[in-house]
Amino acid sequence: MATTIIKDFCKGCGFCIANCPKKVYDLSEEMNKKGYRLPNPVRIEDCIECGLCDLYCPDFAILLEKTKKKPHTQGKEGR
Amino acid sequence: MSSGVKPGKYFVQGDEAIAEGAIAAGCRFFAGYPITPSSETSETMARRLPEVGGICLQMEDELASIHSVGAASVGGLKAMTISSGPGISLKLEGLGWGIKNEIPYVVVDVQRAGPSNGVATRVGQGDLYTIRYGSAGGNASLIALSPKSTQEAFDLTIECFNFSEIFRCPVFLLTDETVGHTRELLVIPEESELKVVKRIKPTVPPEKFLMYPLDTPGVINYPFPNIGEGYGICVSPYTHNSRGYASTAQDIQEKMAKRLVFKVTENLDKLVRVERQKMEDAEFAVVAYGGNARPAIAAVDMAREKGMKVGFFRPIIIWPFPDREVLKVAEKVGKILVCELNIDGQLSREVARAAKGKAEIFHLGSGGVEPHLPAQIFNEIRRLYP
Amino acid sequence: MSTVGETLNLLHPLVAKYLRRERMPHMACPGCGIGQVVHATLIAVDELGLTPKDTVWVQGVGCNSRITYSTWVGDNVDAHHGRMFAVATGLKMARPDMNFICFTGDGDCGAIGGNHFIHACRRNLDVTAILFNNGIYGMTGGQVSPTSPLGAVTTTTPYGNIEDPFDMCKMAVAAGASYVARWRSTDFKQLSNSIKKGIQTKGLAFIEVLVQCPTNFGRYVLKSSSPQEVIKYIKAHTISIKDAEKLPPEELKGKNLIGEFVHHTDRQGIVERYQQFLKEHQKE
Repeated sequence: MATTIIKDFCKGCGFCIANCPKKVYDLSEEMNKKGYRLPNPVRIEDCIECGLCDLYCPDFAILLEKTKKKPHTQGKEGR
Repeated sequence: MSSGVKPGKYFVQGDEAIAEGAIAAGCRFFAGYPITPSSETSETMARRLPEVGGICLQMEDELASIHSVGAASVGGLKAMTISSGPGISLKLEGLGWGIKNEIPYVVVDVQRAGPSNGVATRVGQGDLYTIRYGSAGGNASLIALSPKSTQEAFDLTIECFNFSEIFRCPVFLLTDETVGHTRELLVIPEESELKVVKRIKPTVPPEKFLMYPLDTPGVINYPFPNIGEGYGICVSPYTHNSRGYASTAQDIQEKMAKRLVFKVTENLDKLVRVERQKMEDAEFAVVAYGGNARPAIAAVDMAREKGMKVGFFRPIIIWPFPDREVLKVAEKVGKILVCELNIDGQLSREVARAAKGKAEIFHLGSGGVEPHLPAQIFNEIRRLYP
Repeated sequence: MSTVGETLNLLHPLVAKYLRRERMPHMACPGCGIGQVVHATLIAVDELGLTPKDTVWVQGVGCNSRITYSTWVGDNVDAHHGRMFAVATGLKMARPDMNFICFTGDGDCGAIGGNHFIHACRRNLDVTAILFNNGIYGMTGGQVSPTSPLGAVTTTTPYGNIEDPFDMCKMAVAAGASYVARWRSTDFKQLSNSIKKGIQTKGLAFIEVLVQCPTNFGRYVLKSSSPQEVIKYIKAHTISIKDAEKLPPEELKGKNLIGEFVHHTDRQGIVERYQQFLKEHQKE
């Protein structure tokens, strides 16, 4: 599984960190331009590809590339 | 689409003529709420609009009426709503939405005696400033036409629809219970003689089109794309930029305000409609509008019979007020008598403003219920003349 | 492998397909549940094959509109406060062939827009209405709303709310809407399925979503601005319709029922009625 945090969409709400069933994310020291501390998927190897972080994120700031299951949406290029 | 109206001579009330005029102009969505003395228009639309495939809804209140009318226009249909004073007051917020987003539609005010609920079934003329300045925030202009007869009610309703498309804004037909409820001759012309302005559509692709031309405030005949036409339109009650994105920037607010005011004020020559009778050698002018114009004209004739050089002037375009034409009248005559059905003086205030002190202005007011009698106006002329 | 990357050209697939890049990130506060509902809406739209060419987003005034207006890449029509249903009526009657996803809020729909809400249900207007119920007036800074809980401290109820909250789903059912349901913003799967169902149902689909407002509801009512705290509060004050059936009324006080209330598949909406009506009366 690959996870990308879209930095300037993240608002530091912490949902991904708090609700991941495998505690994949930690709060990073890194901040984005607005001063929000970003999540960091430090334990990505524990990820079970449930997709909850993506669904919990209110700001579409998490990009998932599922290796095990088929993704429910296509494409990730910007417009 | 055919005109939907049948040419011929009819004996109908002004209210019914308004409905026929709307249909002739291409109106295919009507939403209203019952309110005397406008209900006859709603009832006529309820009978006639389905016959031409249009949508007629009695909405749950005045606000739903105007908001759904504005929305139907955004949806691609020519649309109209109608009410009287108390209902117009309720509609003012919705009017703002139409003004701000440059949405074409027609609002009819069949004025009745006020204030508040007043006398529901009887005439008044107290909404002149309500329609112009009643909607929140200013920074707008308004177009309003006023008929004096059943025939004009038909003709000017079509003109209102045409102006709404040309200027891309809501346009008022400001009438009153006298015109609304008087039964007289209406001639509906052949379809080929009807002049109806079609909605203007963009000729450039969506990425090149600006929904709101804030940088060219005076432009008219500007396209109005609707939903489902691929333009990704954005319509909002908030101040927005040319694309429709909400903005708090001072320069956007400034541009928007100028756009909404200048598009009318820079095109006055296209809007002016007035009536003059016996003004060529007049030394005294009588001014009135709507249903109250009829007794004023009769009084002027009575005065002429007595040898008085009296003329009659009527603004058919009520907003923007025909300042230049009124100034010309003031420069010509010594005195102007304004006869209107309100005590607080509304039309007379506008005439005084436009006259710039070139003539003495007199206000003959009445609380309403009845229009002035010709004798009342004639007595006042006699008292003031020369 | 995982990265915390610069955004530049990366977009969530749903954003790339359906939202305006220049309007992102949307205006919601950190942790606001509205974004989650928008996500569920886009999943529903995507799975049904709706497109920006045939679907319009309609809004009222409040957080509901500030976040969804001009975000959708198709047409957006934002109404005055409370008038969303009236505007949706005009739009749908003019273009019955198009889909309308309409967003509103507890103040927009339950207070100032009450009358239009009731009559849209009564007419069974063929649109899908999603109510963001955060129990407070968020956009204007935290005033009490018709759905604020009894006792809630807000900026206009500094001593605690003494009015009972409004059950808007009950009202929608009573007034005649074809499909009525309530979910929480965190009921991701049920919510997107419910929105799909609503879009496909004839007549009005009224889907209320309890959304967390950390900024105003959290701070004023719960004395906590933690989004997780507000979500916990919502979960503690909700119960599924099924579970509620097993409990006596006293134990349901202060709890919102979650689930589908009604789903009429055969109730005519005003659009179908009007089209039949025209067949009978149109002369040309």
